[in-house]
Amino acid sequence: MPPLRRALVWGIPLLVWAALPFVATRHIVDLLVFAGLYTIAGLGVAFLLGQCGIVSLAQSVFYGIGAYCTAWFCAHKGLPSPVGAAAGIALSTAIAALVGWPILRLSGHFLALATLALGIIGQVLFLEWDWLTGGTLGIGGIPRIAPFGFAFDTPLRFYFLVWPIALLLLVLHHNLLHSRNGLALRAMRDSPEAAAVLGLDIHRLKVQMFVLSAALGSAAGSLFAHYVTFVSVDSFAVDRAISFLLLAVLGGVYTVWGPVLGALFITVLPQWLSRLGDIHAFVFAAALIAAVILLPEGFGGAIRNWWRARAPK
Amino acid sequence: MTMGTETVSPLLQIAQVSHSFGGLHVLRGVDFGVPAGSLTGLIGPNGAGKSTLFNIISGFLAPQRGTVRFDGRDITRDTVQTRSRAGLVRTFQTPKVFGKLSVRENLMIGCYRHLASGVVGNMLRSSRSRGEMELMHARATEAGERFGLSEVMERPAGQVPAGMQRLVELARGYVTRPRLLMLDEPSSGLNTTEIGQLRELLQRLNREGITILLVSHDMQLVDVASRVHVLCFGSIIASGAMVQIKQDERVRQAYLGV
Repeated sequence: MPPLRRALVWGIPLLVWAALPFVATRHIVDLLVFAGLYTIAGLGVAFLLGQCGIVSLAQSVFYGIGAYCTAWFCAHKGLPSPVGAAAGIALSTAIAALVGWPILRLSGHFLALATLALGIIGQVLFLEWDWLTGGTLGIGGIPRIAPFGFAFDTPLRFYFLVWPIALLLLVLHHNLLHSRNGLALRAMRDSPEAAAVLGLDIHRLKVQMFVLSAALGSAAGSLFAHYVTFVSVDSFAVDRAISFLLLAVLGGVYTVWGPVLGALFITVLPQWLSRLGDIHAFVFAAALIAAVILLPEGFGGAIRNWWRARAPK
Repeated sequence: MTMGTETVSPLLQIAQVSHSFGGLHVLRGVDFGVPAGSLTGLIGPNGAGKSTLFNIISGFLAPQRGTVRFDGRDITRDTVQTRSRAGLVRTFQTPKVFGKLSVRENLMIGCYRHLASGVVGNMLRSSRSRGEMELMHARATEAGERFGLSEVMERPAGQVPAGMQRLVELARGYVTRPRLLMLDEPSSGLNTTEIGQLRELLQRLNREGITILLVSHDMQLVDVASRVHVLCFGSIIASGAMVQIKQDERVRQAYLGV
């Protein structure tokens, strides 16, 4: 790609991204912050599905663990934000490794059901362990992220925190995909038998990816807690896990940046359609069905295919 | 006819291997060895148990009785991956290429077991991670040239012709630097010219020190083997050079049909 064209391809979206929160309403910026949070959590789900063929309905648990660890350590104990986030990631990855090791021996529907069970168990425990999570009353008073006295306390400010983090994580996953282990993941997705013959430890790789996905879910949960400053069990039910899976499928699981488009779709579009009145839920559902039928590889896959088709052979 | 540097020590030793599916005895106390450095053939009519034996040797199936030893070590209960890391690599009767990966990536992944970078290093593009990718790239290029795949290196492996997919699988096995390369019907789907080229390729690989175990129906190809075992109804009925095998009365009746 010529330098000028490369600069335009990267520069224009960057300019739009930087200018958007200054021209959009506060409400839209708030939705864009959520899109950033969902991108991070959804990236983990999309990577698992696209590269390992694992349907995960457990991401809400790790999202919740991240949020509750942040709430507990930062609101109750008064510790700094990185402590809460690190504790969440440590606990999530430990649980993902412990649970993932046995359940990732399963495959297909059985594995999806096992992750759903984990999601449901998490939801029940978040509710029942109210001495820890506050139950339905939740935990409030979570401090904002405020490094060096600069508080990320408005949607506009948080927008410029969450999206660079999301971008960094997308780049890291892009790197992973184009490395030795990324190749191994794609290989085992195409033919597990041939991958085994080449000495690839499929189970170990799957567990590593499940752990990585849990870390992303937890990080997103910690950021969420700092953003809304209040967490309750409603935010970490199984329907949240379904949203993460939905955005992954819609965005396209075979491209690293697909979850960005999927997250924007499920956060911004319903709000934008709400101006249509009562019918908006039906319109959104129709758009959802149309997207899944017409774009089987998601938005990301469709754009990639279009880009490849128009590129000179 | 003999190719390679055959020695007496068996790299692979199958001892008293038996297996049945339900009431059907597929293998009945099979014994045979593959000497290090040899190019050994395994032939037999359809239903003789060749595929079952191949799956047992490569670890896809555990035998009900008997042992498989590789380089003197009992590997009967080892996983496919463990056997692969020891240098035992196989191909499949229907080529199993990684269809969505390019031919180059298929060959690159052959280097996997010799490298060690971790997930975190890969994400951060550590110098080790980058170095490994360069190495994999270089080895894939070399293997591509060697196996005549240079023209299709960047194409998805699932989209190249079937005969070429077989070569991709073989080249990928070669990149792993195997000690024993097990080939399951490598000539099926190839025309006479391609089979001739495959013969030469196998001879060359064998001369370079790769021990090869070849399962094939194809007499034109099996001729390349220095020693051939004939499997019939789950038992080895003859072993020896192809010239001897062709004259064995039992083999002529059971398999060659002459």
